[in-house]
Amino acid sequence: MSQPGSSHAFGVCRAARSRARPWGMRAMAFVLGLLVLPSEAQEARVLPLPAPAAVRPVLAELGRHLFFETRLSGDGSRSCASCHAPAKGFADGQALSRGYNGTEHFRNAPGLLSVRLRERLMWDGRHAGANLAAVVREMLTDGQFMNGDARIMEERIRQIPPLLTLWRRAFGEASEPRSEQLFESIAEYLRSLDFPATLVDSALRGESAALPQPVQEGLRLFTGKAGCVACHHGPLLSDGKAHRLGVAQHPALQREPLRMVSLLRHHTEMGLPNVMAERSDVGVYAISKNPADRGRFITPGLRGLAQTGPYMHNGRYDSLEQVVEFHDGGGGAGSELRPLNLSVRERQALVAFLLSLSAPLAAVAEPPAYDYGLVDGARR
Amino acid sequence: MRRLTLALLAAAVVFGAMLTLAMPHPTAPALATLPAVPIPAHNPMSQPKLHLGRLLFFDARLSGDGSTSCASCHVAQMGWTHSDPLARGYPGHRLWRNNPTVLNAAHYTRLMWDGTLDSLEVQARSAMQAPVEGNGKASMVEMRLRLVPEYVALFREVFGTEWPQLEHAWQAIAAFERTLVSDPLQVPFDRHLAGDGNALTPAARRGMALFEGKAGCLQCHNGALASDQGFHALGVPRQPQFDSSALVQIAVRWQNRQRDVPRAVYRDVDEDLGRYYQTRDPADIGKFRTPSLRELKYTAPYMHNGVFATLREVVDFFDRGGGDVPNKSPKLRPLGLSEEEKNDLVAFLEALSMDRPLIVETPKLPPMLPLDACANPGCARSLALRPSSNPPKKGLP
Repeated sequence: MSQPGSSHAFGVCRAARSRARPWGMRAMAFVLGLLVLPSEAQEARVLPLPAPAAVRPVLAELGRHLFFETRLSGDGSRSCASCHAPAKGFADGQALSRGYNGTEHFRNAPGLLSVRLRERLMWDGRHAGANLAAVVREMLTDGQFMNGDARIMEERIRQIPPLLTLWRRAFGEASEPRSEQLFESIAEYLRSLDFPATLVDSALRGESAALPQPVQEGLRLFTGKAGCVACHHGPLLSDGKAHRLGVAQHPALQREPLRMVSLLRHHTEMGLPNVMAERSDVGVYAISKNPADRGRFITPGLRGLAQTGPYMHNGRYDSLEQVVEFHDGGGGAGSELRPLNLSVRERQALVAFLLSLSAPLAAVAEPPAYDYGLVDGARR
Repeated sequence: MRRLTLALLAAAVVFGAMLTLAMPHPTAPALATLPAVPIPAHNPMSQPKLHLGRLLFFDARLSGDGSTSCASCHVAQMGWTHSDPLARGYPGHRLWRNNPTVLNAAHYTRLMWDGTLDSLEVQARSAMQAPVEGNGKASMVEMRLRLVPEYVALFREVFGTEWPQLEHAWQAIAAFERTLVSDPLQVPFDRHLAGDGNALTPAARRGMALFEGKAGCLQCHNGALASDQGFHALGVPRQPQFDSSALVQIAVRWQNRQRDVPRAVYRDVDEDLGRYYQTRDPADIGKFRTPSLRELKYTAPYMHNGVFATLREVVDFFDRGGGDVPNKSPKLRPLGLSEEEKNDLVAFLEALSMDRPLIVETPKLPPMLPLDACANPGCARSLALRPSSNPPKKGLP
């Protein structure tokens, strides 16, 4: 598992990551970070979606089948799509995700469209964007998500004839299911998923200047007075870095024991000291162990929001109006944000702009549910 | 003359064979009443520990999806095993072996059909964490226990820790399992040994004589457990589900891989190699641990793959001299038993079981509660869980 550090460590100044680094060097890294940040802020722009990724079609097709395959999970009941439903922008529509049977997750399930463009993966950025297959592995095998066993996955695929056919089409006629290739296939499918292009993309490319008036005003505020673009930039409208906004804890965390179980168990797995004294989601701190990262989470992208509410790492807000209001107020306790003093009209324009970054989703074909077949052991 | 010599020789061989079959095995310990259960020094018994162990034995929160407890496969009403020929295991699975009873497991020195494990503590952990059985991730299960205030109090009382630790859960379960043993006062055979002349029916008495004599059962089924705890290949018929069930085929391949059979080998192996997994000696292929013959009345079906539904089928199998496998035990030979003798043997086998099955009432499990909700130990029951913010799904209470 990779070890992201403080907010500066995400992309800007990864050299500052090591905790063993002497103070002098840390200070230097910090200063470097300050030097780098303003120039980056100047570059901070909303960008159109890049061209689709070149994916290997046979791998992505296998991955699509596997994405919907419940038999990859421990008890055969949950697939990736259980919490990442295509019709919901590959999220689950819940404030806090369900997770595996017998568990309740403590964070919001993020959508997966254009996930290939993310710099860091997971709300605490514990995986680098390039390690999509590693995240797939974690989701499939971790007790919180699908609780599957890699070898059982392999043996089950071997026993599902249409999947085995797809497998051999992807990896060769003599190939046998291998978990590393399985994770890679699902990652390849995910790389093939992109947000639909929007009017904003056309406008940014100069192909169409006609953005509706409130959207145009929202974009102006977004890049200007409201300052959103400082963190929400690039094609996904995310800097891929960690920030503390002071979003209040979701009350279900305290109220529902299974959610607290999942949270404290996560802290335990990450090696956080004094786990039983903790009652809140510490975010990046659990990964970096740097106290400055307590309560920091990776900036989410802003595309497809129309389909992927509720919002924030813990689904605390049901509507974009609430989210904008929260930012307008300067965030919650310990926030890195400042109050914006937006008018009602300005807030509405921002919401209009945010919604213009969503477009109707392309339908995703769900593969049929295949039966197990038999292997003729004696004559194999 | 030469003919006479041959005839004499043949007679001697036959007589010798008959003698071997007719006489108890010279080194075989006699059948006996079970001694007191051995208690390991590192896990002494106590009443609160047994109470905790009983709760945990029935608690499905120890499994990955909250569906499967020890008691799911070891059902008190099914002789602390299960009536399925092959164990059901975790949802989405069908295992490759018949699950052994917990009854008297405390008396074995080696557990499992291939003798892989050597203590009830290790077995409890292994079963609840194996992906095909309990599939519980240690950190998740341990944290669940920590949010059950009654468990926090019980673990603290029994083990002195501030928060429940999973290793202690296996100890408590093992302690509870050490109470699941035959009561000699309830077993006709044990009453017979104790001097009760009416304990065994005439058929059971005749069966006992056959068991110790002509049928040669005592060669391997001896001592207090009626098991030598050794490993023997009998050539038990192939379990048909190995060919008819995709889930079993998955289980067989997975088990072979888990046991580090070389990849090239496991692809061609579609059976259970038994003791071989432990010793890697080809001479041990197909050998399984001799099971105890106590409590058979309640623990059908029989054999490592549950292929026989009744004791009569088992006796018929031994009467035929077992099956046909490379490493078959030389102790198995056709016995030539009459119908009546077979019935007598079954009568004796049944006399090794208690008059009534050992049943432990399913306990009411303590609820999981919000952390800090319970400042004092008595509050656990007074608090009710509030409904979840999500729609209900299958899983934990």
